Amino acid sequence: MNILDYSIDDIEKLTDAELVKLSLKNQDSFVYLVDRYKGKLSSYIKRLTNANNEDAEDILQEVFIKVYLNLNDFDKNLKFSSWIYRITHNQVISGHRKLKARPEGYAVNLDDQLANSLASEIDIKGQVDHNILQEQINLVLNKLEPKYRDVLVLKFLEEQSYQEISDILKKPLGTVASLMNKAKREFKTEFEKQNLKI
Amino acid sequence: MLDQNNAGFENKLLAKIKDSKMSPKPRWRFLLTDSFVWFAGLIALLIGAAAISVMIYLFKFNDWEIYDQTKKSFLEFFILTLPYFWIVFLALFVFILSYYLKHTKKGYRYSEILIIGASIILSVILGTVLYATGCGEKLDNIIGSRTPYYDQVINRHVDMWSQPHEGRLSGLVVDKSSDEQFILVDRENQAWIVNTENSKLYGGAVVIIYQPIRLTGKETGEHTFRADRILPLNAGRGFFLRLNIPDSTQ
Repeated sequence: MNILDYSIDDIEKLTDAELVKLSLKNQDSFVYLVDRYKGKLSSYIKRLTNANNEDAEDILQEVFIKVYLNLNDFDKNLKFSSWIYRITHNQVISGHRKLKARPEGYAVNLDDQLANSLASEIDIKGQVDHNILQEQINLVLNKLEPKYRDVLVLKFLEEQSYQEISDILKKPLGTVASLMNKAKREFKTEFEKQNLKI
Repeated sequence: MLDQNNAGFENKLLAKIKDSKMSPKPRWRFLLTDSFVWFAGLIALLIGAAAISVMIYLFKFNDWEIYDQTKKSFLEFFILTLPYFWIVFLALFVFILSYYLKHTKKGYRYSEILIIGASIILSVILGTVLYATGCGEKLDNIIGSRTPYYDQVINRHVDMWSQPHEGRLSGLVVDKSSDEQFILVDRENQAWIVNTENSKLYGGAVVIIYQPIRLTGKETGEHTFRADRILPLNAGRGFFLRLNIPDSTQ
């Protein structure tokens, strides 16, 4: 079937894998995949880098071009979201040097739910005024080593499961779990350090 | 659903894809890459397994039962006769196999230890099968007949059995003048007159011309040796069979 044979409702119900299949037949179908992921990936890029909107959009465009060119490499046994996050992560790493020169600071605000989820998981809730919690989290994340920041961002800000993080970062599940534990400890230590400075 | 009012990014992207005439890379290219990874891994597995088969072959003929003849402790003998070349060779190909297994589509899901462990186990299993089919012996003969420094690096037994002053001599029988004497050419192409008057045959050894054998006994003079024991020479046969027989002995 062609994308034109689908109603708007039908397209919404299509799985990512079905949209991949359609995109391989018809370029225009690819925009629906882009539409599904551009918001999430844009936030993810900004969370991992110090990119401004313009730079983040450039990276995002490169990501989607890569995704399009490699559509035939998508493994149906993997979640499409894991695959596209992996491509994004790799793209961010390859462009990291360029972005590193920019001033620090995350461009994306955390919503309350995500900030609270992270704070509660790491047991830092109540240690700081709620209004400055988001700012503190961003600041602390920025201080962490990339390997710790990556897993925390994916788990608490992108709400990915351990298996998905394993597929995105291409690391064994056990390594992800161990990184997560260390990352939480590092986060807490750094958070307390930052808190003392206030 | 696609929000047409906010679809600037999608439209710009699609325009770029169309203007640059981009199209998804064909599936066969990815299949080819994946197949190459598996193929390279398989080759590494086969080479590692071949190394195991030779190691088993060398170990089988390690002369455990007569190590005391070497006048060394069991530990010294064990360390001296370990097939270091093959151990290093195996480690290299286990590493290569692990590398390719890790780079298969789902290889990242497994830990390094698991992958290295699986590579070793696979190499040992296949190596045992190859040994059982005679591959270890054939490979040792081929390598022995063609590889430089075989006696010093690849099969150190040859070196250990080429110490006449310590009572160990090996080589190729090139002439048998009587039941009590024959001429043997050692690894350096030196001819030795071997006296077998009081010697015993062990392990099914036979003294036949152009067959390699090992001897324990005593160096009695310049290029003369009194044999106490005559033993067959299995590992390293290929090495001795390539010797140039001196004209004087032919």
